[in-house]
Amino acid sequence: MKNSLLIALREFKERIGARSFVLMTLLGPAIVLGLIYLMFTLGGNSKQHWNVLIADHGNLLNSKIMPGTDKAVDYSFYNGVITEVEFADAKKFQKYDALLEINEKVLTNKVGFVFFREEPDIRMQSKVKFQIERRLEEILINRFGKIELADYRKIKQPLTLAFSNVYDPNDEASDLAGWAGLFYGVLIFVFIFLFGMTILRGVAKEKSNRIVEVLLASVSPRQLMLGKIAGIGFAAFLQFAFWIAIIAAGLYFMRENIFIDIFDAGQMNLEQLVIDSSDLSYQESQFASREYNHFIELIYERMQFANTTGFFLLFFSVGYLFYGALFAAIGATTGSESDGQQFVLPLIFLLCFALYAGYYTLSYPESVMADFFHYFPFTSPVVVMVTLLQGYAEGEGYQIYLSLFILFVSAIAMLGIAARLYRNGILQFGHRVRLRHLFKWLRKS
Amino acid sequence: MLEIKNISKSFYKKEALADVSITVRKGEVFGLLGPNGAGKTTLIRVINQIIAPDSGSVRFNGDLMTQGDLLKIGYLPEERGLYKGMTVHNHTLFLGRLRGLSKKDVLTKMDYWFDRFGINDWRKKRIEELSKGMAQKVQFVCAVLHEPSLLILDEPFSGFDPINVELIKQELIEMKAAGKTIILSTHNMKSVEEICDRAVLIHESKKIAEGTISELQSERKLGLYAVRFKGSMIAFVNALWTGFEIDDKDILGDDRFVVRVKMRRDNSFQDLLKVLVGQIEIEAAWEVLPSMQDVFIALTKEKEEVVNEK
Repeated sequence: MKNSLLIALREFKERIGARSFVLMTLLGPAIVLGLIYLMFTLGGNSKQHWNVLIADHGNLLNSKIMPGTDKAVDYSFYNGVITEVEFADAKKFQKYDALLEINEKVLTNKVGFVFFREEPDIRMQSKVKFQIERRLEEILINRFGKIELADYRKIKQPLTLAFSNVYDPNDEASDLAGWAGLFYGVLIFVFIFLFGMTILRGVAKEKSNRIVEVLLASVSPRQLMLGKIAGIGFAAFLQFAFWIAIIAAGLYFMRENIFIDIFDAGQMNLEQLVIDSSDLSYQESQFASREYNHFIELIYERMQFANTTGFFLLFFSVGYLFYGALFAAIGATTGSESDGQQFVLPLIFLLCFALYAGYYTLSYPESVMADFFHYFPFTSPVVVMVTLLQGYAEGEGYQIYLSLFILFVSAIAMLGIAARLYRNGILQFGHRVRLRHLFKWLRKS
Repeated sequence: MLEIKNISKSFYKKEALADVSITVRKGEVFGLLGPNGAGKTTLIRVINQIIAPDSGSVRFNGDLMTQGDLLKIGYLPEERGLYKGMTVHNHTLFLGRLRGLSKKDVLTKMDYWFDRFGINDWRKKRIEELSKGMAQKVQFVCAVLHEPSLLILDEPFSGFDPINVELIKQELIEMKAAGKTIILSTHNMKSVEEICDRAVLIHESKKIAEGTISELQSERKLGLYAVRFKGSMIAFVNALWTGFEIDDKDILGDDRFVVRVKMRRDNSFQDLLKVLVGQIEIEAAWEVLPSMQDVFIALTKEKEEVVNEK
């Protein structure tokens, strides 16, 4: 244990002393922040103007959407029922890009349906959602004379707009939260692979410069491997903590200076809200100045930091142990340092496979394969993050613990296998790695 | 001190050690000799518990060797590496701590050894900035820092210039005087003659000879005697007649020589001296033992011939 700690400390100091560590610590968050900035400032290539027809047969919205004008979206109202087929085919509806169905239920369940002809970009979807949501708030506030906490919560409850293609209504809507989960998963894998490759290269290097023989005269191969994985893992955690801190500071800066959060319902005085709601001119001034803030929506409302951070760290740690052991074993079985390079390609395939599993789960969350990927240790760190952000169905929350348990057991098993390969392979030099060697090393106690 | 019994080890189908048994006594310098690929390094790795033997046992101070005993062993492998990015100070500290020393002890001993080897000025240098010889010194210090009772050195002189070879030799002689046991694996036969008490010769995974250096030399003696004398070389040659053969000679001065003579027929050293007395002025005469180099070559050749005959 003491020896493993000494080795871990040496590894840790070496990693954090490396120039690449400092570079990645600063460059990584800068890239992430840059991407976030670009994501919210560049709208993409999709249509910049939309004609939306609101089918509101109960005239709930009173044929108006928001005071003030939004040049990007024109709303028209139809106080009747329009089926998707009618909207898709009828000539008179062709000038509209999307049909939004609204009925009385929306005030309680906060769910609305949008059928589009061409899928709008995320900006446009969010804009429509925001405007409808504000209009519903207005209606709700007017309905409640004296507001109760429960009512206020009803108002605060976010609206879910299910976007579907009018020509293919069963196609699932884009899932913003799921994408946020995939982002978490990608982050886990980026770190696991970055530091996993560091383990692989480190072990191969120790073999090629023969320091390993000096070390093995004092420590057992298992202690050496565990120390290496732990030391590099600590460095990964430290770098990750820096990333979090820098990204959080960057996001805060963006919120305060670039994507200014004008309307924050959480900060509003309830009584003032009721009084002000009767004053139309106040409302107009508020709504007119407000523009939908995608940034706040995604980062502050969808990411669910409180829910996810704990699981993120757990899956990150156990996933790192699992993959770290695999990388250490591969490093130990190589015949030379350059041998390690030949494993890079299959490992990248493995990485792509795990990321694809995350994407697949995002697209087909109910499929059997998604269930499999959720428990399969090679893919679970990504897939669980996607599922977690999408939300587990009631009573299915145990699945996340089951997946974590399977990953943990797999990590222990992988450490056992890796220790065996490590012990038998670490002093083999200059050979070509063959599968039969690996099996032989695995069988040897 | 160290009892190695019936050790066998194979890698895939290649036999690296076949039933090798050796005993190393406390306080001796024990030579581990053999051509490249004979199995010496494998044996050293088995002793250090880096690899496990297929069969056989290693006893240290009478008990089966354990991981804890490794702290009493200093090991300098043949293909030794260092962490190139670390400073000399940090590297030595790291290896010293791995060998069970406290930080304070490492620093005290480091001061002593760095002074002794004149490497104090390099403390802050990174290993990659050192010359090969400098790095070798650091490696040697790392191997002896924890004052092991058994020191295993695999080709300790390779890479050193003659001055540093002498320095290392002197260190080994002093350690031996201090009661340390040393196993020395080397191809440098001159140093084996100079500092080893006993040696074993391993060839093609088997032990083919073991004994004190003089025993090994005596077993291979060639019936060669040397005579240092003053007088005429012609008189010396005439005196030998037909029962002896001159093998070699060195001229020490105008009328002083050392001549090596081989016995013919049943003639003995006494017969040689009898024919020479009165002809020349004998200063000294002695039996010439083969060098360890000759013993090494002779033994390995013999072994190969036996194998070929089979």
